[in-house]
Amino acid sequence: MSVADYREDMQGCVRCSSCKWVPFNHMKSHRFSGNCPAISRFNFHSYSGSGRMNMGLSVLEGRSELSEKVSEVVYSCQMCGACDTACKSYREIIDITEVLLELRAECVESGQLMVEHMMTLDALKRENNMLGEPKAERGAWAAGLDLKDINKEKVDVMLHVGCRFSYDPELRGSIRRAVRLLREAGLDVGTAGAEESCCGGRAFELGYRGEARNFADDMAARVKASGARYLLTPCSDGFAAFNYLYPLMGIELEAEPVHMVQLLDILISDGKLTLENPLDMRVTYHDPCHLGRMSEPYLGGWKGDKRDRLRSQSRTGRFGIYEEPRRVLGAVPGLELVEMERIKEYSWCCGAGGGVYDAFPEFATWTARERLEEATTTGASAIVTACPWCERVFTDAVGENGFEIKILDVVDVVARAVGLEEEE
Amino acid sequence: MAMTISDEAYRALEEAVGEENACREPAMLDSYCWQPFLNMSTDLWVQRPIAVVLPGSAEEVQEVVRVCNAHGLKFKALSTGWGAHNGPTYDNVVQIDLRRMNRIIDIDEKNMIAVVEPYVCGGELQAEVWKHGLNTHIVGAGPHCSPLAGATSMHGCGNDSIYMSTSSRNLLGVEWVLPNGEMLHLGTPGSDAGWFCGDGPGPSLRGIVRGTSGAFGGFGVFTKAALKLFNWPGPDEIDSEGLILDSTGGLPDCSLFYNCQFSREEDFIEAAYRIGEAEIGYMFVRMVTSEFVLLLMPHLFKKLVKHRAIMDLLDKTMAYPFMILLVGSTERELKYQEEMLNQIVRDCGGMAMKFNNIPPAANLMGMNLLRCTIFGTVFRSGNMFATNLDGNEALTTQTDWCSTMEKAKKRYIQSGGLLDDGSDNPYMITYENNLFGHCETIYLYDQRNPEHLESLEPLGFDTTLAAIEQCNVPLAAFEPVTRTAMSPLAGNFNRWQKEISLAFDPNGVSDTGLYTDEKEPDPEKIPAEKMEHFEWLKARFGRKG
Ligand SMILES: Cc1cc2nc3c(=O)[nH]c(=O)nc-3n(C[C@H](O)[C@H](O)[C@H](O)COP(=O)(O)OP(=O)(O)OC[C@H]3O[C@@H](n4cnc5c(N)ncnc54)[C@H](O)[C@@H]3O)c2cc1C
Repeated sequence: MSVADYREDMQGCVRCSSCKWVPFNHMKSHRFSGNCPAISRFNFHSYSGSGRMNMGLSVLEGRSELSEKVSEVVYSCQMCGACDTACKSYREIIDITEVLLELRAECVESGQLMVEHMMTLDALKRENNMLGEPKAERGAWAAGLDLKDINKEKVDVMLHVGCRFSYDPELRGSIRRAVRLLREAGLDVGTAGAEESCCGGRAFELGYRGEARNFADDMAARVKASGARYLLTPCSDGFAAFNYLYPLMGIELEAEPVHMVQLLDILISDGKLTLENPLDMRVTYHDPCHLGRMSEPYLGGWKGDKRDRLRSQSRTGRFGIYEEPRRVLGAVPGLELVEMERIKEYSWCCGAGGGVYDAFPEFATWTARERLEEATTTGASAIVTACPWCERVFTDAVGENGFEIKILDVVDVVARAVGLEEEE
Repeated sequence: MAMTISDEAYRALEEAVGEENACREPAMLDSYCWQPFLNMSTDLWVQRPIAVVLPGSAEEVQEVVRVCNAHGLKFKALSTGWGAHNGPTYDNVVQIDLRRMNRIIDIDEKNMIAVVEPYVCGGELQAEVWKHGLNTHIVGAGPHCSPLAGATSMHGCGNDSIYMSTSSRNLLGVEWVLPNGEMLHLGTPGSDAGWFCGDGPGPSLRGIVRGTSGAFGGFGVFTKAALKLFNWPGPDEIDSEGLILDSTGGLPDCSLFYNCQFSREEDFIEAAYRIGEAEIGYMFVRMVTSEFVLLLMPHLFKKLVKHRAIMDLLDKTMAYPFMILLVGSTERELKYQEEMLNQIVRDCGGMAMKFNNIPPAANLMGMNLLRCTIFGTVFRSGNMFATNLDGNEALTTQTDWCSTMEKAKKRYIQSGGLLDDGSDNPYMITYENNLFGHCETIYLYDQRNPEHLESLEPLGFDTTLAAIEQCNVPLAAFEPVTRTAMSPLAGNFNRWQKEISLAFDPNGVSDTGLYTDEKEPDPEKIPAEKMEHFEWLKARFGRKG
């Protein structure tokens, strides 16, 4: 595919600006009415879903050039998919997210690259992870957990931890607790340890198609070799890659992708995990974009006029993972879940996605700050989420801005409710 | 293509708004040029501005306007910028994007007034004023639009106009940056007396600022406006899940939704007038049955439209329907309204269907109607639509206009120049207790289809001819060719408009393309016999001088 293949999508834009706001029926206040961090922060129309498509069409028609500035605008976007959902709230003919992905691939193709992304990609190629950490240390997080090694034995559930959980020392507790919870529920999972590598999803989002494919092929091969029926991940970015980007790339996985919150939900409702310890807390839940709207499965490329496409044949964002984390939190005794204004398919992004955390850290924290302010208005003492990238950027923003709110993973909440003892 | 801006002028703009709020990157400027809506040309890109600026305050707007005056540039402001009328019509225009000016300055609950900046959209304002038991008028275009822009600069009708009137009538105090860079406060804010009145004490210039249609950005920049608010006895918030088509939430208890059907035009009109006399109704819209299929089920519509008998069944058996929302502050009031409605419909030989107890219908009509989100679905069938507008007139004029326009568009449908949309597809709404109303007939096309684009200008011209014959107002009254045609027929209004424009704008820095400019029709595009007919109409009805 190329930008040219999406000409009709771009020409279909009627310039209504729906892509700048939460779907209007869900608008509850002036303060939290926006859905797109980029247009909210930078204001020129070109930073919106519509504006990016308009620019793409202008470049495609030879009216203007894909300059350094244009590339900067293209990359000042978390690829959170909010514009796509808002546009699809009333029509089905434009796949904005796919246009944005193509624009990024075009930037790479024409050499309009972000230096920071080049460094990330270098690191990725060298160390197999997005953080540039030594590949030999990838499995260090699991020290002492005695996990099955999929390189040596077949497993039913293969755990793909993802780059951020593998290396971020502040998040390590969460992923270890997750494994201990699974044990508690009698579930044995296997990992690739030091052999695990990045899923390639972020590389695809950055437009580096070749690299993304290499990593995705690798991933698919590892899954196949493991014999697993389920590919379990606590990383929402990875989950979206498996459900959306892999099929978009034409890569089939031989195991069903499952996110950790989905599994926790099943284990709780099946009585395999008992949440006995009351938690007297008021929390709010942040829907990670890549667990929500961006994880909605790819439905195949549409040949022909998209006006002929039925609603059920287009991704609207409505079928992301929204209820499972809420059910899990709802099952915790004493815990009060209060909703923010922007939730589910119209959730506001944390700020970290799409390469923004690497290339535009201030913009990432600005976006996170906006979310933390929204969370604070609910009176919650913690914002709970289910993605290590969200947790990272929230933690940064809390630190820098003196917010009182705690950042927790759903796993952390469940572990406390189950009464899992803290590790030394 | 636009000329480029000099470094000196650009630096002055940067100084006015801050470096990060000025832009002259061609691709970014082009993101302001893709404007297919109400674009009657075959090129859907409008003229590229030479720069875009994002002022954050009225003072910064003044600075930008002064820079334009000093450097021989023109300017054009936009609020949310939906439609080709936002685009420059000259090659030296600085586009003033008012997005950063998005504050709700005040909600005065007691006096039922909101003071807003240009980029507050209808949905945002409604969400806030509901919390005060108040409501704001939302134009039919939807909650994306700026209430300030509607009130000061362009049109202004909507489904709620029966109760909340049209935007221009809700305009109170105004803050206005004149084309010479001076600031003028109209009405009470002009004498520091609050925002409650547009006519003073303080300069009363509302009739200068805009008439029926507005100046379409050709007359300075409106930076604050006070708008009249209305009663809302409903909840602060309606929790609804889903997107438009799978919306939930239903209708609030204070409301009843009815669809009423009449088979004869005169019965429909009689019922509409009597509803007005009874002073009931919160929203009132006439749309035909097949139009709903077109909006909500475009795939089915595509099949149905080929079957004349089915289309006739949908549109001709009950040819004159209206949907009406009743809202009552008390149960008793609501009951009274309901009884009145049923009696009127019965007396006029119609049929009234209540939707509240049918959950799918109530869901569809709940938030989608109250926030006016459902009308966006008009883009689903064709991808693009356009309308023929008529003037704000007696209700009978509206129905006449529908039949005229149905005939006009049929010719283009038959030759493949438009999509077959099966009927006249009216969007008729009424103002202020149905004393008068407004009607558009919608037609559908695909902006990606060159054949369709070729039809737009000739059809627009046909509309103008028809409007002249029926003493009506065509859609493109703001467009220079239409204005040239219409002005001599209506007291040479444009001559006076030009005089006014010149008095306020001696250096000609506002982009007046859609406000006062004139242009003769293009003989290449308009067949000779139509031109002859046009000349004949001008000679017959027009006034010289
Ligand atoms: C699909 C569609 C359907 C529509 N249906 C209706 C309808 O049912 N009823 C109705 O009344 N109207 C309708 N309109 C027109 C609509 O009223 C206006 O577009 C809208 O009210 C203005 O809000 P906006 O934010 O979109 O303004 P914009 O699109 O930003 O501006 C509209 C015009 O006003 C000028 N302008 C805007 N803000 C300022 C300012 N602060 N100072 C000076 N000039 C300014 C602009 O230059 C432009 O010419 C429709 C438009 C569209 C696109």
